[in-house]
Amino acid sequence: MQEPTREQLQAMAYVDGELGPADRATFESLLATRPDLQLEVTQMRKLGLLARAMAAPEPIDHEWKRLELDPLQRASTSLGFAALGFGTAGLAGWVGFELWTSEMQLLPKLLLGLVCAGALLLFLVTLRGRLRTLPYDPYTEIER
Amino acid sequence: MILCTTDAVPGREIRETIGLVRGNTVRSRHLGRDISASFKRLVGGEIEEYTKLLAESREQAIDRMIAEARARGADAVVGMRFTTSEISAGAAEFVAYGTAVKLT
Repeated sequence: MQEPTREQLQAMAYVDGELGPADRATFESLLATRPDLQLEVTQMRKLGLLARAMAAPEPIDHEWKRLELDPLQRASTSLGFAALGFGTAGLAGWVGFELWTSEMQLLPKLLLGLVCAGALLLFLVTLRGRLRTLPYDPYTEIER
Repeated sequence: MILCTTDAVPGREIRETIGLVRGNTVRSRHLGRDISASFKRLVGGEIEEYTKLLAESREQAIDRMIAEARARGADAVVGMRFTTSEISAGAAEFVAYGTAVKLT
């Protein structure tokens, strides 16, 4: 087993709240410039959270796990979501096409296109932000 | 960091009261989970998607409160409480607050 580095030991002490004010401030300024160390701290926080949220499994948990593994349940869920997603996208495309080829004047058409493009762009920017920050979010594995 | 809902920590004496510390967060689940949750609302039973949402929010709010208490040099937070509210459909706000103190 590999020995923890000095920075890893500092990260552990930081997560456990064992650093004094001066050491904490120094570590926090180092943390601000080191994404690898930020990931390390996130992982340690995740472990701490798991320990804090330890709960005895209930009979219903086993049944939910079995259902998650059940091929019929999984296939039906995936199929349902796929149908919903493709159906919605197709419907949106069809409505867009109908509007574009309608008798409507060019200006409202362009404005409508602008609204849709803006909404899509904002959604993509938000999604990008979430995906970028997801590895630093230690709260995603808490069940109850 | 000792957290307790009582006004004192049994067996320890409060040396100094630092003041109010709090942590809050507003979290949501993604659209897929909201869709699953809306179907579960039709058939009844526990909606784990939202149980998980509140649990995530609770832990993050606690951590933020602890971080503030630590930054202010506290040993414990007494009289800790939680409040929760709905900011928008499917998003939960969770607030954890208490009084930060130094113990002997």
